[in-house]
Amino acid sequence: MAFQHVIWLYLWVVPHVLLAAIAVLMFRKGLQKDFPIFFSYLFFEVLQFCLLFAVHSQQKTLMYVRVDMFAVAGSVALRFGILRELFESPLARSVPLRQAMARIMNWGTVVVAALASVFIGALYSSILNHRVFAGYVVIEALNTAQCGLLALLFLWHRFLGLRMSPFAFGIAAGMGLVAGFEPFLRALNDSLAVRYLRVPDLLQMAIYHVAVVVWLYFALAREKIRTDSKATLPDLREWAADLGRIIQP
Amino acid sequence: MIPLAILASVVAVFLLFLVFQVWRHYFRPVEADAPRLIPVDLEAFENLIDPEEELFLKANLSPSEFCQVQRTRIHAAKVYVAALSENARLLVAVGQSARYHSDPEIAAAAEEIVHRAIRVKVWCLLALLRLEAGMLFPARLAPPSGIAHRYLLVTSMAASLPGRSAA
Repeated sequence: MAFQHVIWLYLWVVPHVLLAAIAVLMFRKGLQKDFPIFFSYLFFEVLQFCLLFAVHSQQKTLMYVRVDMFAVAGSVALRFGILRELFESPLARSVPLRQAMARIMNWGTVVVAALASVFIGALYSSILNHRVFAGYVVIEALNTAQCGLLALLFLWHRFLGLRMSPFAFGIAAGMGLVAGFEPFLRALNDSLAVRYLRVPDLLQMAIYHVAVVVWLYFALAREKIRTDSKATLPDLREWAADLGRIIQP
Repeated sequence: MIPLAILASVVAVFLLFLVFQVWRHYFRPVEADAPRLIPVDLEAFENLIDPEEELFLKANLSPSEFCQVQRTRIHAAKVYVAALSENARLLVAVGQSARYHSDPEIAAAAEEIVHRAIRVKVWCLLALLRLEAGMLFPARLAPPSGIAHRYLLVTSMAASLPGRSAA
């Protein structure tokens, strides 16, 4: 039992220490300018951890639940902001294009959130009572919508032929892990007997830990920049010849 | 139990998708040859989407004949737009590869190409959607005009890149 408690404590504390390390790394590399919402998210997560840890150590259950609710709501909202940031990141230097992308992203969010609500609503409508249902659907739907938006993010980059920067890719991959498992773990939490309730909790913390390690890895990774490689200039010349053929077929 | 099984399947599919993205990003072999742009006869394309041409056909053909001809024109326009869309995607790659060039002029031009090619790409997507709708209502929805001009602007910019880089 003591060992399980140590594991639980490790999974709760260490990821948040690593988040602080990522924030420092981002600041040193100047990445906070490119990803300000993700940078704020790191601070928010560390702050809510400190609050929750303090409340937990004083064993104030009601207070803990309130702070936890605030933390979950804040995390979900910030994650939508991060997704928007990732959609816009390749176009950061073009304001009109970024605004156009933001409009597309807004519409995409509405459509994906509606689809996710219908999907989750259809799944749970027969087994939950109406009082619990509304709150449950909102949380599950928002998490599912984030998975959908992440899938859209990858497909959108592929459609445009854009290559994500390593850090943007890392943020997306880590968020995919967190958002992907969340709906399943919540459902698992509801279907297990009370004495096994720590299992989904531990799983969730372990997955978050992996996501944080992914973020840390990509924050440390250096971007491979092609500048004056021998292949680039001849390639460009060849493309120019092709372009000439298009303009004057 | 049913929601749990369905959610587990959805999570599994999503995770497979994520793994595929990681594979694509890091382990997919890079094409050795430079991508070739699909040749597009822009003059023919502009004729195809010319509103005056459409008015002429409308005035000289019976409604059923016009719908038939219009569907054929829309189908041809779709082929052109798909080719332009693919070329715009390749131009994004051209721009991205020269984005961090040591010559700031080339880097700036490459950045501009990326932005303009993305615009063309989005425009192609919207144009394809409109053309699909046009297939259903050929008498109401005309093929979109103006795309050829935008495309020409981007390609001529990309063509100017190598000259600068060679200098």
